[in-house]
Amino acid sequence: MRRTPRLLVVLGVSAALMTLLPIGYLAIRLLQGWEAAVAEILRPRTLELLANTGLLVISVSLSALVIGFSQAWLVSRSNIRFASFFAILATIPLAIPSYVMALGYISVFPGFSGFGASWLVLTLATSPLVFLAVTAALARLDSAGEEVARSLGQGKWQVLVSVTWPQVRPAATASSLLVALYVLGEFGAIALLRYDTFTRAIYNAYRGSFDRTSAAALAVVLLAITLLVIWFERRYRGSYVQSSRSLSKRVRVELGGWKIPATLLLVAVGGLSALLPISSLVSWSIAGTSKIDWSVLLAALWGSVQLAVAAGLVIGLFGTAIALWSIRYQSRLGKLIENLSWAIHAIPAVVVGLALVFFGANLTPWIYQTSWLLLIAYLILFLPNALAGLATPIAQVPVMLEEVSQSLGTPASKSLFKVVLPIAFPGLVAAVALVSLTVLKELPATLLLRPTEVNTLATRLWGATEDLAYSQAAPYALLLVIIAGLPALALNAQARKALSEVLG
Amino acid sequence: MKKFVAILAATTAALALVGCADQGLDTEKNSITVYAGRSESLVQPLIDSFVAETGIEVEVRYAGSAELAAQILEEGQNSPADVFFAQDSGALGAVAKAGLLVDLPASILEQVPASYSAAAGNWVGVSGRVRVFNYNPEKVSVVPSSVFDLADSSWQGRVGIAPTNASFQAFVTAMRVLEGDDKTLAWLKAMKINAVIYEKNSAILEAVESGEVDSGLINHYYWFARGKELGFENLTSVLGQFDSSDVGNLINAAGVGIIKDSQAARDFVEYLLSETGQLYFAEETSEYPLIDLVDAGLDLTPLSDIPSPEIDLSDLDSLDQTLKLIREAGLI
Repeated sequence: MRRTPRLLVVLGVSAALMTLLPIGYLAIRLLQGWEAAVAEILRPRTLELLANTGLLVISVSLSALVIGFSQAWLVSRSNIRFASFFAILATIPLAIPSYVMALGYISVFPGFSGFGASWLVLTLATSPLVFLAVTAALARLDSAGEEVARSLGQGKWQVLVSVTWPQVRPAATASSLLVALYVLGEFGAIALLRYDTFTRAIYNAYRGSFDRTSAAALAVVLLAITLLVIWFERRYRGSYVQSSRSLSKRVRVELGGWKIPATLLLVAVGGLSALLPISSLVSWSIAGTSKIDWSVLLAALWGSVQLAVAAGLVIGLFGTAIALWSIRYQSRLGKLIENLSWAIHAIPAVVVGLALVFFGANLTPWIYQTSWLLLIAYLILFLPNALAGLATPIAQVPVMLEEVSQSLGTPASKSLFKVVLPIAFPGLVAAVALVSLTVLKELPATLLLRPTEVNTLATRLWGATEDLAYSQAAPYALLLVIIAGLPALALNAQARKALSEVLG
Repeated sequence: MKKFVAILAATTAALALVGCADQGLDTEKNSITVYAGRSESLVQPLIDSFVAETGIEVEVRYAGSAELAAQILEEGQNSPADVFFAQDSGALGAVAKAGLLVDLPASILEQVPASYSAAAGNWVGVSGRVRVFNYNPEKVSVVPSSVFDLADSSWQGRVGIAPTNASFQAFVTAMRVLEGDDKTLAWLKAMKINAVIYEKNSAILEAVESGEVDSGLINHYYWFARGKELGFENLTSVLGQFDSSDVGNLINAAGVGIIKDSQAARDFVEYLLSETGQLYFAEETSEYPLIDLVDAGLDLTPLSDIPSPEIDLSDLDSLDQTLKLIREAGLI
């Protein structure tokens, strides 16, 4: 058993302590009103919420998996035309906050609401997560196995199911877990589309009755559901496959008669998830630009970019440490910390925000309402997003390379920095980009914890929609989409580059 | 014994000094933090003119009233906020209930009719808003005489409500106070069948405007705000009121409370209640001034002419029971 560098342990353990804050907060709230909490959970309404939430989580996870996987396979492994264009199109929805996408749909189809509406919007908003993870995994895969299978007479479908799928399964299920937890914790879009889930009930408990005990009770149920989902994912993940990266040239699969339906599928998904919401935003923006105060807009833009970049770096640092610890050193404690951060990922941002308000104002007033506490909130909220992206590149660096480096006399901790990190670097950058993008879109925790009088594009967008001035909200939303689009495109370019290297 | 009496007298005097808020009032403080649950574009110009006039610096933290109330409750005694300016009396009531608002001086309280302030005197109403019946005149020919008429099966699928919204809940509380729990629950159950549910007032107005639903129960100023944005001539819907004293015409208030007492915080509250402040709300947000303005030349119907029910806003603090009924009816 190799010894873990101390730096990794320190970073990992401090991340774990921060992650425990919301759980500690929930425990305090529950102990203060134990009976009320139990009564809240035992209401028949809880069962109804459970059914609603379960239905949405399962359906969105499955459909996002199917859509994201199909997109990834088609643009990276088939001979479909305009693959690069479709790859970009598939990434764009990542830049659109789901509440903005919901607003876009409502403004085009008044009365758009309920389960079907929530399912559609959340599927479109989350399938890029699967797309990116699977594309990255496909890019790093050796296709020799597929070719052997084909040469042995297996059909395309058989090869896909029996050879390709097992190899990308860890990436696909990890990103589906992200999708499932996203849906569990989602509030904005679901409130606009009027579908009742646990998270919406938690928000309503705070908003309607200032009832922190009921909210905490519901959040604990949500926590239990999350653990169940994680257990399920861990069971079906399969194991990571290390890749030697000395890959032979790859052959793209001939689609034949399937080419037209496949293209139509990509066009339809792209139209619904990118074209429709963005064109609705553009038309509202045109109506609203005359009233825009550019200095306010630029200040918000600057606020967003600063926070997103800082959060990306902080979360990237902690995330890399945890991923290295749990994957390269097979550490139980490292894995436990990883699971802990996943476990609280579905706790709604408002709960995490209030937990930090509680601890920040009363225990650490010197960082309360500064960017530091906000960065801690982002770390708690989005560490799993980073871990999902970091796990694959770190796991795929062959252990053999490290061993060779050590056999040449480099100490273990140095080989980590000299061998593992450089090889995994592009993947790490992609993960950080994904985190920054998510931070840009975050609203509830930002509103609660931002320094007073600091604004981001998301808080300005919120302010304008509260004013009911959609035309004034739209330019902020559009700018947010454009800015978030940059990391999204970088992510995509990174995945494509890896792909083109091996495709030759 | 003499000595003991002397000490007792001195202690009593000291206690009396401490107990009397004005003696210990911080007059040095020259900057305050305001938690504002009202929209920035709406109140910031007024705050700017307060800063210009008084030289007191104001940091404003904008968020939803309910979120800010939750935030203040979590912050407890360590809240950085001096003043809480909220959209509705429910949020103020929750903070007051936790003992986090100080008692306001009589000079502030007596400016506003008692029914628009806390009975305990720890928050004061700043501007009035009226519950109205918003409808599409092409689809609704006669405004029903009471909000209870909406329970009739002829209204099935024709009226929009926002059960999670604070002003709707305040209205239901008023209904309970005036008409009793049984009648209220029956009405709510009927609304479970008849009503179309929305997230907030603006969404109801949007739906009535687009023809998605025939009518809705909202606050009056949403309609005025939309008229100002798009032009009143472009609105398809109009506002109506139920018959006199109907609970559907409830007048509610946005209000303000002081968390950390200081002269500067009091000056801020005074400014909101000054003629400048009150006229500002009337003109910019079409809300009702709550102080006596002699001949202000406003386009608004005077508040006294609104056919509202007689009720004291601080009687609307039994939100728990209201939520219980709304839940029992299955609306949230």
